[in-house]
Amino acid sequence: MITLIIALLVGAALFGIGLYGVLSQTNLVMIMMGVELMLGAALVNLVAFWRFLHPGAYSGQMFFLIIMVVMALEMVVGFGMALARFRAKGSVEMEEAVELKG
Amino acid sequence: MITLGLGLLLLAGAYAVAVIEEWATTGRLRPAAPLLAGLALLGRESLVPRKADRVLFEVAPVLFLVAAVASFAVLPLAPGTAIADLATGALFINAALAYVMVALVMAGWGPDAIYAMVGGWRFLAQLVAYGMLVVMPLTAVAMRAQSLTNSRIVEAQEALWNIFTQPLGFVLFWLATMALAFLPPFDLPTAPGELAGGVEGEYSGVRLAIFRLARLTLVFSLASAITVFYLGGWLGPVLPGWVWSILKTLAVASLMLVGGRYLPRLREEDLLAWAWKLGVPLALVNIFWVGVTLLLVK
Amino acid sequence: MILQTLAVAFFGLVAVWFSIVVFRTKSMVRSALALLGAMVALGLLFLALEAEFLGVLQLMMMATEMSVMAIFMVMFMMDPGGLGQMEMTHQKKLSLVAGIVGGLVAALLALLVDWGALVQAQNLDMPERQNYNLGMEIMGRSMLIFETAGVTILVSMIAGTLLAIVSRTQTTEGQE
Repeated sequence: MITLIIALLVGAALFGIGLYGVLSQTNLVMIMMGVELMLGAALVNLVAFWRFLHPGAYSGQMFFLIIMVVMALEMVVGFGMALARFRAKGSVEMEEAVELKG
Repeated sequence: MITLGLGLLLLAGAYAVAVIEEWATTGRLRPAAPLLAGLALLGRESLVPRKADRVLFEVAPVLFLVAAVASFAVLPLAPGTAIADLATGALFINAALAYVMVALVMAGWGPDAIYAMVGGWRFLAQLVAYGMLVVMPLTAVAMRAQSLTNSRIVEAQEALWNIFTQPLGFVLFWLATMALAFLPPFDLPTAPGELAGGVEGEYSGVRLAIFRLARLTLVFSLASAITVFYLGGWLGPVLPGWVWSILKTLAVASLMLVGGRYLPRLREEDLLAWAWKLGVPLALVNIFWVGVTLLLVK
Repeated sequence: MILQTLAVAFFGLVAVWFSIVVFRTKSMVRSALALLGAMVALGLLFLALEAEFLGVLQLMMMATEMSVMAIFMVMFMMDPGGLGQMEMTHQKKLSLVAGIVGGLVAALLALLVDWGALVQAQNLDMPERQNYNLGMEIMGRSMLIFETAGVTILVSMIAGTLLAIVSRTQTTEGQE
């Protein structure tokens, strides 16, 4: 049980660091790194829950795979946006992207 | 004990690959040359370029060696003789080989030199080309064995080797492994005569020795992988299993080293275009073919 | 058991350290590779938690993903080597507070819940069996989800390629 708590604490720490990164970085690619870290925290929690709470339920591992897909999709969408933005404006600094503000 | 033996075997194999490579390149068989060259490299000064990213520069050759050795660790030499016969062996070997690319990207970025950097990023693009062609034929192999364990994969070839049941996958995997070990005609990251050594260019002395050793280990390990996945591993008459494994591996390694010498170097965009427009559809056809034959034959 | 706890704690610490390095270093390539380090540590953590397939998968996927991130960094940044000490952050205080609060809330939840009642008896399958069961899950009950994920990836691949290709008209305009 102590292992479960340690794993969850690791997840919490990664989530906090990822959140800090997403909010504080100005570059789009760096922001995506923060998002990746937060998704990584989700992965840790999923594996820990699967291992200790439901070791017989393989939908837990399935959920892991789906999060991995989400990570890949996040990369595609992010880099797609970054490419388009870089072509149009010559930079991916998000401070300059005020016109994207809703 | 087994681990130690296999480690020594890997070293000997890398040495044999070095001898064969020189034989293939210069046409002269000099069994002592790699030893002398290695000693000479150890004796030389190991320069660090100005403004190098020291961490990446130092880590890259070591990571390369670790990745090559790790990929060998899951391959069985004989029944029960593997460093770690993981239940996910066929997947693990992909994971280990992916770090070859990471090491080369590090080696390209680390020394702060133009040619090295071009070579490093070229290898990343090369990975995009060959990556799918490593994974997808392995999927078909695992389908036949109904397991990702490498020793099971060999046992499943008892009746007929995979090279006969899935020749298409064999050809694709062979080409992909050659691209992975950046042997000619896929030697884009080092590209002698064009990039002045590329990723290796800024390395000298001990570090270069590690780099070269890692590369030779990688070639031996990949030849061993082809043996396990397609040529029936330790299976064979009369001789003991491990002898068969070593013989097949050395044969594959020499063919890999000799075969590409007579072809012109591929350009990056041609490699990518062929890999994705021709290779990936063919790999899908291979998976489909294997699935159909498995359903029909069993 | 104690070994497992120690391994999880060790790899967890390594992952956290690397993820801090991601946002502390000036060099963008280093920061992408530090993220790779964090992800590799997580993969080893999964291996320590006896989820062999997931751990190996994590190791395999992240190597490529993070290297691609590194090359995009080099493409899009003025100063990817971090030699010019460029300022790359904004709203520092707010984000620091948000990060700490978010992490603390998650950590408190982990500590406050009484896990003892929920933890199952340890009857974990062998790795071989795990692979089999996961395959059965994917090809059985969760097939629709898996197919949806596959199609989504295909769509995003096509869309990404389309975005990446410069259209003919745009190029000619650029040259004039």
